[in-house]
Order: sequence, then structure tokens, then C-alpha cells
Amino acid sequence: MNPRTKKILTLAISVVVVIGVIFALYLYAGKEPFIRTTLSGLTLGSLFFLVAAGLTLIFGLMDVLNFAHGSMFMLGAYMGWQLYTNPTFIFGLLPTILAFACGVMLTTVMKPYLIRWQISEKWQNALPKIAYALALFAAIVGFLGLDILGLAKTAMVAMTTSTAGNPLSEISSQEPLSVYWYRPLLMLISGLLVAFAVSKPGDKTEFAPKEKVLPKLVIPLVLLILTIVSTLIRESAPETLLLMNGNWRFLIAILLAVASGFLFGAITEMTLIRPLYVRSFFIVLLTLGLSYVIRELVQLLWDPLAYQMSRPPLFAQSGKAANLLDWLRNGYSTIDISGVTFPTYRLFVIFLGIVMFIFLILLMTKTRLGMIIRAGVQDPQMVEALGINVKKVFTVVFAMGVGMAALGGIGAGPFLPIQPQMGDQYLMQGFITVVIGGMGSYVGAFVGALILGMARAFGDYFALKLSLSPALAEASTVIIMIIVLLVRPQGLFGKKE
Amino acid sequence: MSDQNNQQDLLVVDQIHTFIGQFHILESVSLSVAKGSITVMLGRNGAGKTTTLKSILGLTPPREGKIIFDGMEIQGKRAFNIANLGIGYVPEHRAIFRALSVLENLKLAERKKGDFDRNADFIFNLFPDLKRLYKLPGNHLSGGQQQMLAVARALVPDNKLLLIDEPSEGLAPILIQQMMEAIRVLSEKTTILLVEQNFIMASQLALNYTIIDDGKSVQSGLMADLVNDPELIHHYLGASIKTRKELEMNHESQD
Repeated sequence: MNPRTKKILTLAISVVVVIGVIFALYLYAGKEPFIRTTLSGLTLGSLFFLVAAGLTLIFGLMDVLNFAHGSMFMLGAYMGWQLYTNPTFIFGLLPTILAFACGVMLTTVMKPYLIRWQISEKWQNALPKIAYALALFAAIVGFLGLDILGLAKTAMVAMTTSTAGNPLSEISSQEPLSVYWYRPLLMLISGLLVAFAVSKPGDKTEFAPKEKVLPKLVIPLVLLILTIVSTLIRESAPETLLLMNGNWRFLIAILLAVASGFLFGAITEMTLIRPLYVRSFFIVLLTLGLSYVIRELVQLLWDPLAYQMSRPPLFAQSGKAANLLDWLRNGYSTIDISGVTFPTYRLFVIFLGIVMFIFLILLMTKTRLGMIIRAGVQDPQMVEALGINVKKVFTVVFAMGVGMAALGGIGAGPFLPIQPQMGDQYLMQGFITVVIGGMGSYVGAFVGALILGMARAFGDYFALKLSLSPALAEASTVIIMIIVLLVRPQGLFGKKE
Repeated sequence: MSDQNNQQDLLVVDQIHTFIGQFHILESVSLSVAKGSITVMLGRNGAGKTTTLKSILGLTPPREGKIIFDGMEIQGKRAFNIANLGIGYVPEHRAIFRALSVLENLKLAERKKGDFDRNADFIFNLFPDLKRLYKLPGNHLSGGQQQMLAVARALVPDNKLLLIDEPSEGLAPILIQQMMEAIRVLSEKTTILLVEQNFIMASQLALNYTIIDDGKSVQSGLMADLVNDPELIHHYLGASIKTRKELEMNHESQD
């Protein structure tokens, strides 16, 4: 049999099997339970996909198994929830981050001059280390003065005491504005020191042509202006935000979660993972350790409690929408789908997963970055030899993957308890998804997530109906993984090594 | 900046030492490539020719020694920075990107927007086959077509120097002829450093040669002199030299 007919035959058989299974489930469960369970499965699958897509992209390009992905999912949920419920903490943090970024971004301006500096090798080695130490010192002084933990606590108290009524009740600024300017300033200095160290002063093997300085100043200047603006508005902004339409606030919360995930991923890749690519086993240990560190930090900042995030107004109005239009107009919490009552927010989660899948397809097939990623999966060295900065691409892909996990986190926020271990289950299912779909394939991640979501949902359904243990649903995903591994060890969409 | 004597040399490699892991692969390799000509690197399998190319490009950075390209010291710089100075690389084994279409393979090699559009005519004139195939994914191409694509990819940006590693390896004789012709045309446009096991091809194309043996550069000079020195050829290249007859037999056995 030639490979082409074999391929078509496999495809035909799998389509028949899938349709058969769906039909059997439909006949057995009946129409309404079938639709309800399918929609639940899609919701779960959507979240699994958001986690698995990042995992698979990162693994495909860099051979890195990111065990911290679940923690990053959780972090996304916390950031989004914090902004949605009580943004004071975030606006307290924002100027310092912007100021630090502004300092670091000045690297490109400083580097061409610093590497041409004539200093002895001893100083070449010593200066970056001294600069890093000073940068850490400046940051610590800035943050201790900032009393950032205290701020978070206040924010939390305000949040918990002001349940349904007025969320603004107990938020008040902690100190006069003049004191506050110290922190961004210290963080700016810290950023500048990091930029100095990164530039490797005196290192002649470094490469940076002297070009026009002005265009390079644009980004730092914008960041500086944003720092000043965010410092000035840090008291008024949270109020404004809380008074605005909850739907818009939720959108901003999503954007913030994704942005913070992206930033966190970029920083993690550049500082922690990059030095370890040559020893890939250590990366596993590193990311595993990182997941514990993140969890502990989150417990420190937010206490080891579980929080409930309220749904945005679009999904909050109690009642049942007759159709999509009715829902979008009146914001009902449930919707009627062929006689089944289904929560509208879960519909939104399904939508989120589909949008991200389409985004990924477009990114991978239509853009230059996608082209670079597909080429890099095969041969990163050759991509570098074409004149493309592969390290930068690694950073972007890692950041993107983490950003997607964070999106999953905030997406899950309104219907999962927000707590430090909320990402664990999704990390586990994400890995199973990636194994089923095939390592490195985002289409595989999508199909795998669908299968797992359905298995979980129908597993729960049958466990309830036949009064079996609910552990059956959880076990079913592992069983599917084992079957796939036996039949097709490279995963459904994986390429043979 | 560089040596006064070597002004016409586009590339000078000066006693580089390269390690891969624990292994000392290059133990003092020196060579120079004159502007506007073809220089060929000869030597047995495993002598260190490919590693020399990779060292120049910074893919396996040398631990010691100097590499001067276009009057600038480039050793220790990151590979993508070196490539962006105007060096194109055609690796051995036709390392094209199999998941990408022919067009995408070429587009990926762009350093500035419009590189490909500017040079497309030149490339498709040189390799008319590629124009016909440009929508196919890389893994659907035959070996010869992949090799052409690998060379074409290095022509997308305006490179000053091309590093070409074994372009004739595994090709049918008729394709070797075509590849030779293409490289001859290219040499009118840019400077080429070639690694070639096929001595007939190398001797017809190159102006200068350098012999690498056991990680050291042992001999260099004009190709015309080497052709008339069978003893030297035999001593350093010995069995690795493929005669025309041998190549043809090779090809037949592949069919």
C-alpha cells in the first residue's frame, strides 16, 4: 500500500470511528444530556487547549518542558481577578515595572558606547557583577520602601469587606504622592544598572554598530512618560476603572493577564532558561522549582485562600436568554441551546479557545514569525545562519506560550475558585493533551484538547448516571493517552523522529 | 584595520582553534579568500572542512585565532550578526526547511523587505525548476531540487561571500554539471568559499585552494599548480578524491 492511500484510509477510519462514537453517545444519553455534556466538554477542552498550545509550541521549538506552565495559568487568573475586583495593587505596581523596563530598554543606546570602552579584562568581568548587585540592592530598597506586601493586603481587605455593595469602600491611598516618586526612581536606576551589565562594557567580541541614537530613544521615552503618567494617576485610576462598565473592565483584565503573562514569560526565558539550553535536563528541574516559587510568592502576596471572581455584567443577569442576540442585549447568565440551559460564560470560554486557535493558525501560516518558528522547529542553527536572531525568537515564543496560559487562567477565573493550586490540574491535562496530539503540533493540541475535554465531560456524566466513582472521568484521560501511545507513539499529529 | 598586504582578501582566517564539546576539531586552520574568486577547501572526510565553515559563521565559534571579514574582526560574534554582514551559507545535506514551501524557504532568507523581489529574476534564471515548484512544500522536492533551493536561499539577500558546503554531494552527473554552471555564474557576482569532494568539479571552478588535513590547514596555493602535482593530491586527498568514473558508478547504484 502506498503511503498516500494509507493516509487517506487512516483518515477515513478515524472519521468513521469519531462519528460512530458521537452517535453512540447521542443514542445512549439522549438529546438534552448529550448537548449539555458536549458543551461542558468544549468548555473544558478550550481551557486545556489554551494551556497545551503554549506547552507544545515551547516544546516544539526549544525542547523545553515547562512545568511552571500551570503556575503561570494561575498567575494570569490572579492578575486578571485583581484588576477586575480591586486594581489598587496593580496600579501601585505599574509605575515601578514601567520605570524598570525604561531603564533596561536603554541598553540599545548604551551598548555601542560601552563595548568600545577600553578597560582591562578584570574589570570587564567585575563590572557587570557589581552592576547586577547594585541593581538588586536598588530594587530591594525600592520595594521595601514601597511596602508592596502591605498594599496588597489592604487591597485584599477592601475586596473582601466590600462584597456585593460598593467595591470602593475601604480603598484609600496609603501615603502622599511625593513619597511615591522614590520608587519608580529607584527602579529606573535599577533598570539602568541592569542595562549597563547586559551591555558587557569593554567586551570587544560583542557586536553593536553605532547608529542614530534618536530612534532608539523612542521606546524608553514612551516608557518614561507612561511611568510618570501612571504614577500621577495611580490614585484616581482604580476608582475610574471600578466605576466603568464591568464588561470593559473585564476586557482590560484579560489584556492585563495576557500582558503580564507575556512579560513574565519573556523575563523567565531570558534570565533563567536561556543559560540552560545546553543542559536541557536542568530546565525541567528549574521550571519545576519555579512553579513552587511562584506558588509560595502568590500565597505570600494573597494569602493561601480561595477567592471567587464575580462574572462580568454580560454574563451576570439572572435569567435565560432565548438566543445569542437576546443574551448579548440583556446579559443573561444562561442561554437556551436547543432546549438545554447552558451558562453563557462557558460559551464565552469556548469562544476564547476557538479564537486563539484561529489566531495560532494565522500566525503560523501567514506571518514571518510563524515561518521562522516552523523552520526553527527543524533546524534552529540554519535559521540563525540566515541572519535571524534565534534567541530573540525563543524569547518571543516562550512569552507567547505563557501569555496563552495566562489567558486560560483569567478565562477560568469567573468559574473556578482562584487559589494557588488552581493551575495544577490544567498543567497535568495540558501535558496529556500534548502527548495525545503530538509534541510540537498546535493542531494536535487543539484536537487533543477536544478529546480530553469530551472524555472528562462524558466521564463525569456516566459516573453520575451509573453511580460510579467520579475518579473515572479523571482516569479516562490517562487511559486515552495510553491507547494513543500504544497505537501511535508520536501522537495523533506528531511527526515520526 | 586589517593587514596592509591582504587588501584584496575578503576573508582571512588566521590560526583558528575550534572545540566541539571536549574534542579539539580544528587545530590551527588558516586560509584566505580573495575578493571576486572561488576558493576551494579540499581534504578527507572528517578533516574539519565543514567545521571551518561553521567557525567562520560563528555556529561553532573558535576558541582561539582571528577571522577577518571585509576588514572587520568577526570571531566571537553571534552567528546571525555575522550572517547579516553579508555571508550566505549553503550547508551540506541540503538543509532546507522541509515544513516550508519553496517560496517560504526563499522568503525566510530575506534580511530586508524586498530582497527576494529584487533577486527573484536572477534566482529563477539560474534555477528555472524552482519557479515551477515554488508552491510545493520542501519535503516534496527531489534531492537535486533541494540542493538548488539551498543555493538559491543564499542568493536572496545580496551577500558578499557565499560559503558552499559540498554542492555536488549525491547529485546525478547531469545535475552536477548544472550546479557547476550555476556556481560559475555566481562567482561573477560574489566571492565564494567552496567545500567540494568532487575534485574534477573543484579543479574546474576554483582559482585557489586550501587543503585541510586532520584539523590543520596544510597547503594552499593556485589550483592550476595543484592540478599538476599528482603526488600532493594523492598524499593529502588520496582515496577521498572521486574520479568521474567513480561518480557515475555511484549514481547508477543509487538508481
